[in-house]
Amino acid sequence: MAKDQRVNSILLIDCGTAMTKAVLLDQVRGRYRLVARGEVPTTTEPPWSDVVDGILHAAERISAVTGRDFFDGNSDLILPELSDRRGVDAFATTVSASPPLQVVAGGLVRDLSVASVERAAVGTYSLIKAVLTGEGRGILQEEILIHKIHKSVSDVICIAGGAEGGARIPVLRLVRAATLACALLDPDQRPVLLYAGNSQLRQTVVKIVKKRVELRVTDNVCPAPMKESLHSAQMEFDSLYLNKMKQLPGIKIVDGWSPTRLLPTARAFGRLMEYLWHLGDPLKGVLGVDIGAANTTVAAVFDGHISLTVRSGLGVAFGGEQLVQKQGAETISRWLPEPMSDDEVRGLLINKEMHPTSIPQIQRELCLEQALAREALRAALKTARSGWNPGAAQPYPHLLPLCDTIVAGGGVLAHAPHPGQAALIILDALQPIGITTLVLDKYGLASLLGAAAAIKPLAAVETLDSGGFTNLATVVTPVAGHARRGDTILKVHVTYDDESAFSVEVSYGDLEVLPLPPGQQAMLELQPLHHFDVGLGGPGKGGQQRVNGGLAGLIIDARGRPLQLASNPEQRQTQMQQWRWDVGG
Amino acid sequence: MYYPFETQITPLTSISRRRILPAPGEILVHVDQRVEPTQIVAQTHLPSDFRILSLARLLNVSPAQVEGCLRVELGDEVQKGQIVAKRFIRPAVRSPIDGVVTDSGGGRMLIEAQPTLFELPAYIPGTVRNVLKNHGIVIETTGAMIQGAWGNGGESFGVLKCMVKDPKHSLHARDIDISCQRTILIGGLEMNSEAIEAAQEMQVRGIVVGGLPPELISQAEQLPFPIIATEGIGKMPMSDPVFRLLTTNDGREASISGKVQTRWGVVRPEIIIPLPAGASAPAETPPGLPLEIGARVRALRAPYVGKVGVIAALPSRPRIIDTGARVRGAEVDLGQENPVFIPLVNLEVLR
Repeated sequence: MAKDQRVNSILLIDCGTAMTKAVLLDQVRGRYRLVARGEVPTTTEPPWSDVVDGILHAAERISAVTGRDFFDGNSDLILPELSDRRGVDAFATTVSASPPLQVVAGGLVRDLSVASVERAAVGTYSLIKAVLTGEGRGILQEEILIHKIHKSVSDVICIAGGAEGGARIPVLRLVRAATLACALLDPDQRPVLLYAGNSQLRQTVVKIVKKRVELRVTDNVCPAPMKESLHSAQMEFDSLYLNKMKQLPGIKIVDGWSPTRLLPTARAFGRLMEYLWHLGDPLKGVLGVDIGAANTTVAAVFDGHISLTVRSGLGVAFGGEQLVQKQGAETISRWLPEPMSDDEVRGLLINKEMHPTSIPQIQRELCLEQALAREALRAALKTARSGWNPGAAQPYPHLLPLCDTIVAGGGVLAHAPHPGQAALIILDALQPIGITTLVLDKYGLASLLGAAAAIKPLAAVETLDSGGFTNLATVVTPVAGHARRGDTILKVHVTYDDESAFSVEVSYGDLEVLPLPPGQQAMLELQPLHHFDVGLGGPGKGGQQRVNGGLAGLIIDARGRPLQLASNPEQRQTQMQQWRWDVGG
Repeated sequence: MYYPFETQITPLTSISRRRILPAPGEILVHVDQRVEPTQIVAQTHLPSDFRILSLARLLNVSPAQVEGCLRVELGDEVQKGQIVAKRFIRPAVRSPIDGVVTDSGGGRMLIEAQPTLFELPAYIPGTVRNVLKNHGIVIETTGAMIQGAWGNGGESFGVLKCMVKDPKHSLHARDIDISCQRTILIGGLEMNSEAIEAAQEMQVRGIVVGGLPPELISQAEQLPFPIIATEGIGKMPMSDPVFRLLTTNDGREASISGKVQTRWGVVRPEIIIPLPAGASAPAETPPGLPLEIGARVRALRAPYVGKVGVIAALPSRPRIIDTGARVRGAEVDLGQENPVFIPLVNLEVLR
């Protein structure tokens, strides 16, 4: 799009696995604002089998509110906006509805090059179908590798290994195995071979592969034992996912509506987190989490560098039953405030998969969905953390690094009946430390504004400034001290802007919620005891901090880190119910 | 406007099914040909085992020298024991299996075993309307169509045998006798493990129930015949329209599929009862239309899961439901004293 082209109105679409969102940004009194939004079920499946229908349905919602039409009689987008206000000046789409890339990850050492390939792959929507390692040798080993590849039905085989100038033979053995495995497949079903190993072997790799498989080459993901270089491989995975996105029924029509490229939702989400980091405390990080129906995304920015992780196949609609099969129902039911049999957990999760857009209508099912959200976040965070480099933002290696802001999105959080429930899900799953602002992406804007930033950065900035996000809570979490349950570990003095004030003493194990509504600020004076650290300079150090209010108020989470759940089921259920009451939900 | 998902529970409709091979192959029927459910309409060969021969090592030559020793070419069929490579003084290298030479290079040879034959049955009786060259066919028929919620995989064809008088009654082992052999049993509410075992003993062709208790999923997944739960997993009575349609067709032949895929190309379990196309076939409404007052809907979530009713009103404003969430919904007449408010996303239209 030409830079000098007038861009007033922007229609943004996100095609998710379960829901399609449409958002209209427009200039109101010279500034971009969120004018209207619509959210409807995605239509990639029957009876529509066309992603365009969902986009039209979502746009229809906006039309109903604004009275503006965006599509002509042939269902083609009107671009740019006409003088009668039909159409829009710009349009962008983010997509997460396509199936993830099926990846076979290969390398010499499981914890080095293979782990690097996995970290590169999780930067986009992908599932690791099989892992190949260079351990072992001989024909039998080669046959095992080939069987693994053959059974995995993958889109891409990524082979890494060998530090720069390092190992040759075992890397080439993997490449040969992958090539032979591909030769066994029908030409239409052969995966792409992505070589991300020792760069000195590239010519040999080309010779081995000949033209039997589509070969792509990236920088070595693991050029030295303790060094990682993922960007080039991540770009290739992104590009492969874009190809897969284009197989979504109807998406080619959407792609033709605008010169702006389709973007994977997670990539756009990460882009916005990078922007937010520049607004906050540079010594801390910004963490963005988005729980979708089938995927959970974690975007972490430390020292200006983003680490994007997509946990594909696990969201609030899909993947729960598999998780139960693998880890047991208690993984999820431990977060419930009342007993639920393993069979009931499994049954409800299967039924949810059959109706992924449906919502709980009774408390029992709501609690289960929120419990699954906690586990989806925890699983995504676990995968993500291995790729972070938080530096000084991480005073305690076993705990989450200090985060200035945590942005949380996804229907289960955005549509939580009570904001305290959304806050509690985030606190239980992510377990932030120090002082953190929790921000709720109530309107599902994060990825859409990330996409808008590519067209008109000012539109993203001004929409955020005008309240695109909702402050959920400011959370103070004292950590790393030594106390017994019930001991006072933090003295808090709150002074509101109208000069009214009060003080509280917070005991170890408690979850305190203090009143501080959205739009209000207060000065906090914190005095930690028992060497607890509230993120104001180290253990035992207190100080003052100005904080913002939120829908769930000001939360002092003195439950300790890592969070300990009671081992006795009845006590644990009481604990869960108590925490739920504490946050008002 | 809200565009709901749909479930087909239709007494008479035209049905079209694509039958696709897992890999390109041979089509055995032609357009306009009449086919029967068990008739093989297409076949292909699927890859099976393979062996890698390390020729360079076995012949004691460099990988580059292997080519001069080869006695077969790429694509050649080889028999077990046939010489595939030889160097004058070394013992010949023989194929360990019957197969085809698929690849060679780097001093190795890949021999793929003879592929296994895959045969694709028609699954439904009907007429071939289209042949998708090398890939499959499209069959059309008319009949009753019921989409289920959960299935254990597999396809079958048999006579429907209604085992309960009420959709709220369960299927019991004591009722399954020799008369059930090679039939498709219609239960109501649910069944237990003993009922599944009795059905297996009687070699039934399938079972259709309202809900399947979650503890039986593993057992169901091992069965050689399809099980379809029309409402889902759990203790759920079969919806009235489904039960009525099945009992109306008691004794008729039906094709059933327990295949299910919940995303990326959704596949739903189904019961197809072939019927002659009569002049009374109802006019079909096009799919994918907005929800309207008067539409017949089914509730998808507790406390109304499986209940069928009619849209009485579509309030324009969201309302608060028991969880505390504020949602858009519909007032649905479920035959109770008053209509109940159900979130739009928890409704599906029955067609």
